[in-house]
Amino acid sequence: MNCAELRASLHPYVDGELTVGEMAAVEGHCAECRACAEFVRSEHEFRQLLRRQPREGAPAELRGRIVRRLRREAVAAAARRWAFVPAAAAAAALVAVILMPSYRSAPPLVVELVDKHIAYAQMERPAELASSDNAQVAEWFRDRAGLYVTVPDYSPSGIRLVGGRLADAHERKAAYLLYEKGRTLLSVFMVPVSGNEAEPRGRRVAYRGHEYLAYEERGLRTVSWNDGRTLYGLVSMLDYDALLECAERLRLERVRQTRL
Amino acid sequence: MALVHLDVLYQVALRWTRNRAEAEDVVQDTYLRAFRSFHRFAAGTNCRAWLFTIMRNELRRRFRKQAREVLQEDPEDLDDVEARADAGVVGGNPEEEFLQSVLHGDVDRALNTLPHPFQEVVVLVDVGGLTYQEAGHVLGCPRGTVMSRLFRGRARLRAALGRFAREHGYVKEGE
Repeated sequence: MNCAELRASLHPYVDGELTVGEMAAVEGHCAECRACAEFVRSEHEFRQLLRRQPREGAPAELRGRIVRRLRREAVAAAARRWAFVPAAAAAAALVAVILMPSYRSAPPLVVELVDKHIAYAQMERPAELASSDNAQVAEWFRDRAGLYVTVPDYSPSGIRLVGGRLADAHERKAAYLLYEKGRTLLSVFMVPVSGNEAEPRGRRVAYRGHEYLAYEERGLRTVSWNDGRTLYGLVSMLDYDALLECAERLRLERVRQTRL
Repeated sequence: MALVHLDVLYQVALRWTRNRAEAEDVVQDTYLRAFRSFHRFAAGTNCRAWLFTIMRNELRRRFRKQAREVLQEDPEDLDDVEARADAGVVGGNPEEEFLQSVLHGDVDRALNTLPHPFQEVVVLVDVGGLTYQEAGHVLGCPRGTVMSRLFRGRARLRAALGRFAREHGYVKEGE
């Protein structure tokens, strides 16, 4: 490789943007070419000069102002339609979603579902298909995304179906069902999984002879289980008795449908 | 409570706006907009690049409102014209000694001399610490464009710093 060909790689080299192989090529060349080695040294020095520049941190007052503003916004969002997060935790929880992105990199699936429960509830129209007709919602998922979704009927418990939307969870298409009990939102997720790839999260709870995982995240209760093909996750402020009852009904309905 | 990217957003805003009060406003609005459009943020994608994208859009919105022409809509024209002007600058002089004698404030001054598309990318990468890919995401242009603007921007920055050094008398003419 000659100098002209290499020149284009020298900036990316100094910026650490080359692959290991490309880096080796640059280093090999620079070991023998004084001009290019000097160019690299000089660019390094220049970059350090730019980095050494005094940098003002954001004023503490600005930090406080933003946090207060986001809290107000979170409380307003929470008051809009549903009680989807505990009032006391609402602000902090919502703000934390934006403020701690590093933790978002690869959260366990159930934590991701909690995030979605919170995020969707703030949308103007969280349901892509607004319908209280269970069969229609199930059909919509089938047509739209080829997802075989069981849409349980919770109306005997006073829990009304609001609709469904396609969600992505663990980078794949998942079904999201919205229910409401009064002003309390219940989210039901069905995420296709293979085997036990989804990292289980929570404590084991037995309910009517079946085992579920119960897990709390930011003041929200979740109940989840995995039948080897689908991960089911319920997220709500409803108490565990109600959630487990809903889980059990979904499980039974699912088994009944699969048999058909 | 940790506003993780606040400092770096503020530093970039400060260099883009050159005004503390405006930088504070822009950063605050950025967080607010990010919060409101959080449902559009895909988990697992790059939060930092996402915030910078929102901040840049916010700045463009403000600049348009103020009918300032600082932000150019289409820097591609400029790329062609400027490329010729850069011919004598790219590469720099490896023997430059002025790097040792750059005065406090010179770098900011030199940054301000850069045409906006160059300044924008130099600030994102060298102040904001973004990768080429992230900067491309924020600016909505391919990695190659980021690289070409970045390298030429840096070369111009060096040239401007060299001029200042000569003004300060650290480097003699012709050196």
